[in-house]
Amino acid sequence: MTKETAQATAPTLRLTDIRKSFGPVHALKSISLEINRGEVIGLIGENGAGKSTLLKILTGIYQPDAGKIEVNGKSVKFRGPRDSSAAGIGVVHQEQSLFTNLSVAENIAISSGTGHRTGTRFGFYNWGQLNRSAAETLNIIGSKLNPKTRVGDLSFVDRQMVEIARAIRVDAGKDGSPLVILDEPTSLLERGETEVLEREIRKLKAFGSVIFVSHRLDEIIRNCDRILVMRNGELVADRVTSTVTEDELFKLMVGHASHASKKSRTSIDSSATPVLEVSRLSLKGKYSDISIAAHAGRITAIVGTSGSGREELSRAIFGAEKFDSGSIALNGSKVRGWRIPKAVSKGVGYVPSERKVEGMVGGYSAAENIVLTHPGKAAVGPIVLPWKRNKIAQEWFTTLDVRPNDIALELDRFSGGNQQKVVMAKWLNDPNLRVLVLDHPLRGLDPGAAETVNEQIKKACDKGAAVILLADTLEEALEMGDEILVMRDGAVTGHYDMNVDNPSTLDLLERMV
Amino acid sequence: MMTTTSSSGTAASVTIDTGEILTPNSSAKRRNIFAGIGEPVALIGALVVLIAIFSALNPRFATLTNLQNVLNQASLPIIIGVGATLVILIGSIDLSVEGVMAASGVAFVLMSANSRGGQDMGIAAFIVPVVLGTVLGALNGLIYTLLKVPSFIVTLGMWFIGFGIATILYGTDAYPELTDDNLTNWAAKINLGLPNVFWLAAALVVVSALVIRFTRFGRAALAIGNNEDIARANGMPVRKHKVTIFIIAGALSGVAGILATMQMGGTSNHIGEGYLFLTLPAVVIGGTSLAGGKGGVLRTFLGVILLTVLNNGLVLAGVSPNYQSALSGAILVVAIVAAAWSQRGRLRIAK
Amino acid sequence: MSTTVATGAVSTEKATKDGLLQRRATKLWQAVGPLVIFVIMFAVVAILTPTFIGGGGVTIVASSAAPILLVALGQAFVLNIGSIDLSNAAITVLGAILLAMTLGPLGAVAPLVVLIMVTLFGAVNGLIVAFAQVPSFALTLGTLGIFQAAALVVSGATTVYVDANLDLVAWLYTGAIAMLPMTFILGVVVAVVAWLFLRFTRPGQGMTAVGKNESGAIFSAVRNRGLKVVAYSLSGFMAGLAGITIIAQAGSASPMGLGSDLLLPGIAAAIVGGTSISGGVMNPLNVIFGALTVALVPIATTALGFDPSTQNLVYGVVIIVVVALTLTRSRSATVK
Repeated sequence: MTKETAQATAPTLRLTDIRKSFGPVHALKSISLEINRGEVIGLIGENGAGKSTLLKILTGIYQPDAGKIEVNGKSVKFRGPRDSSAAGIGVVHQEQSLFTNLSVAENIAISSGTGHRTGTRFGFYNWGQLNRSAAETLNIIGSKLNPKTRVGDLSFVDRQMVEIARAIRVDAGKDGSPLVILDEPTSLLERGETEVLEREIRKLKAFGSVIFVSHRLDEIIRNCDRILVMRNGELVADRVTSTVTEDELFKLMVGHASHASKKSRTSIDSSATPVLEVSRLSLKGKYSDISIAAHAGRITAIVGTSGSGREELSRAIFGAEKFDSGSIALNGSKVRGWRIPKAVSKGVGYVPSERKVEGMVGGYSAAENIVLTHPGKAAVGPIVLPWKRNKIAQEWFTTLDVRPNDIALELDRFSGGNQQKVVMAKWLNDPNLRVLVLDHPLRGLDPGAAETVNEQIKKACDKGAAVILLADTLEEALEMGDEILVMRDGAVTGHYDMNVDNPSTLDLLERMV
Repeated sequence: MMTTTSSSGTAASVTIDTGEILTPNSSAKRRNIFAGIGEPVALIGALVVLIAIFSALNPRFATLTNLQNVLNQASLPIIIGVGATLVILIGSIDLSVEGVMAASGVAFVLMSANSRGGQDMGIAAFIVPVVLGTVLGALNGLIYTLLKVPSFIVTLGMWFIGFGIATILYGTDAYPELTDDNLTNWAAKINLGLPNVFWLAAALVVVSALVIRFTRFGRAALAIGNNEDIARANGMPVRKHKVTIFIIAGALSGVAGILATMQMGGTSNHIGEGYLFLTLPAVVIGGTSLAGGKGGVLRTFLGVILLTVLNNGLVLAGVSPNYQSALSGAILVVAIVAAAWSQRGRLRIAK
Repeated sequence: MSTTVATGAVSTEKATKDGLLQRRATKLWQAVGPLVIFVIMFAVVAILTPTFIGGGGVTIVASSAAPILLVALGQAFVLNIGSIDLSNAAITVLGAILLAMTLGPLGAVAPLVVLIMVTLFGAVNGLIVAFAQVPSFALTLGTLGIFQAAALVVSGATTVYVDANLDLVAWLYTGAIAMLPMTFILGVVVAVVAWLFLRFTRPGQGMTAVGKNESGAIFSAVRNRGLKVVAYSLSGFMAGLAGITIIAQAGSASPMGLGSDLLLPGIAAAIVGGTSISGGVMNPLNVIFGALTVALVPIATTALGFDPSTQNLVYGVVIIVVVALTLTRSRSATVK
């Protein structure tokens, strides 16, 4: 930010000492920043750094505990999303928020007030005016989309154009400088589409400011004038782009340059058949030609961004999602008719990232959850023996130190960490566990619970299971993995055997983005 | 009623559920098996084929009198169908139609000149039943939105409440018949070549089509049906719109109760029987999605005409009317299966 | 992501405090609510109509509760997996008609044949719901029409009388243990078996898991589709049993008569019996009291001075009120 612009006009956005806590967790600790007209700001930070809390405050979803927000020089308070959009802040969400059954023009107009310009007056639509007004807005961002097209028929990147148009529309016709927040807009885009979007960002500069949130550091550097780095709820750096490098940004983001830890690695007995062998697995549009050999007792960590296809791949291994071609083999024999019940009967387990929705049956007691999939001695054929079930559950509760120590309590009454322990127990209760797929197993866990879960992962390895780990952070992957697979855009771009290689987080990151 | 595997509710995390966003593309291939079912062109095509077949089977089918007869029969399902379509567009359902019709029908006949005697209340005989329908519809909407009871349960209960009101009003006396021939003949009376009641139904369809197309209210209904959460996030008065739509549906059921009574020349508490069964399949094969957000009253109009022609043709062809509910039922089953077919998935949840 | 999780934790914490009382109340209701309601209703009727208990009132209530109980148990199984079966009463009518027609020619085999058929009808419902993944209320509304028409066509739209061998089933109605007719005892036996099935078998537990959280159940390798077929088959089977009790009582079946009026009482009995409309909560033993309560409704309305014709209205109100009272709501959830 240069002196001239700061003096010429009030900044589009100025935050002063914004704080926000959730109970004991300080999500934001005194954030102050300024964004000027025509600036593209990159906002980066690891998961949990406070980015999304900040964005939610800017869009009126959360109210700050303390601090001041000024837009175009005026102090404002957002009680809800409407206030924020009235102030000229538009957001393009990561998950798209368009009505797929309505036209482009309607989607652009729908959150607007009534009035002649928008094409809605006295509750009636003037389609001609509505379409013209939308075309005008689209024109500003240089989009050639037909306002009459149904949004459901648009490609993903075109929908993003509509979202951008809607975001800037909030201020169209008014005198002021809109601020558009792009929340990881590129994470699902194909490469060509990303370029289209980047062109748009440059156009937006002509009349407004942009906050660009992304995990891809190269994109951030390419597109932004200035980069803000968040860590642990604080703004730790505010750099003009020309003065930083990717490496530097990364170090700022994670707080230190990373080193592989000294965990003892399990080496492969090269003669042994892999427990799990994935060969040339492909699913159109998600991943292609993926091969993995996972050996007993080893953790294969797969790293990649959200568009990398690793989630879909891990679900295919569990039989939860289909694949188009390729094969999966367990202990050398190819599987057929791969569905969840079959996978589970062959000793495959899966801890999903959406714990409450997919990982557990919350209304059931912890004991019932533990034996739901693998009853072991708790059932004789189809008959359930509650006293044995309780005994098994109590053993797991003791082993994993689950609190409160009440196996009859419904699982959704436990804290996240304790829930995850129970979810782990559900799979570890399988005496024949061969493959354990873990999708973000530590997400949202406090350090104590995380440690317990990690111990159990290692225990599963000791018992001879092969573990596939989709870690939350690269550090976690480096610490836990015996082998690391890097995926980008549905393909494997890196493969490290941690006995031999010693990649840094930067090495991994380079292949991820 | 239907929940797909939901997207992750967490914002700004690395993982996002791409499954939902990309579903339309990935299912595009499979969809073509049933593509076209429920499209207006296909419906009109089917109608033409049916008319051709029935005309060949029975010379009495393709006559002006029978056309007037078909349109007379189709009118009430069309009127009810307009309300049903609006309710389904917002992703809800109204099962209370037959009960509301019964209540308003009995109220109407007892307030008009009828064979049981009593007083002819003139215009009030029309207003009170419609108000009754409106109130029941409002109750549907309010209980549904305020207490968050699923709409199919509220309206199932209201079905029997309406039926109960009709039973109580009806009492145990003889079947009340309308004694004013002007009333009994009004619906089927031909004006400008078509029955009065059809003109009414057609006007209603046109008006409601315009409302859906050209008003914020109509567009909001579509938006709510597509995604209620986004609608709410956009500051739409979701609850108000929902209640309004249930009120409209209730009022239309009330009107239908009056008209059905006029058509029958009298009424019992069973006056509404069968109408839900004709209307729901008609709405669904018209192409209005039970999931909400997609469809319209013109489609429902076509769907009703198609089903009515089918029923009429089969009766003329000598098929027992006992098969009628089976036909409607089977069509409903096939239509919803066809609509859901392309979206099947291992993790999808339908309730 | 820690911020998101943090908010989650906060709201859970708050919910724990707020919800504790409500949770206890819910638990209490689930345990004894249906019994309490029945006892209160029974007391009211007994006080207002002193001749009720002495004059065979108990037998009357139990015998009219029997078909309701059987239909309600089937419905409860379907509700328990998070769906609904609007066709079960139509299956009862169809089953009764089929039994009336076959009892003469087939004799003792007839009930068996009929039960197999109705179970298959239910299975068809279940197969379509599970594999075509359509909304169950719409599907079963459609099959309701089909079963209704089948009943009309098979019976020729008239009442069908059992022409021989009626005594093969009539003992169910005439026989009694402690003033309770065998039809009701049959219902109670089925309820007890259902209770054992739900509490002590893996398929039973799987069904409840599907009702509580189908996604979670799927990822726990519960065979959700197969269990849906089983639940609907059970609903068909029990609807058929209800049909048998109707023949036992009346000796005839009509496509418009008894039975077609069982749909709402069945749902009401299941819900008053503590079954959750959104799935995952069912206690077959409490459904017994639900059915008895519902069977008391016409008697109670008369006792309270209302016309018996108000019972439909009462059923409708009861369903809405009980669902509204027992529904667990989350503020943000979208209800359709």
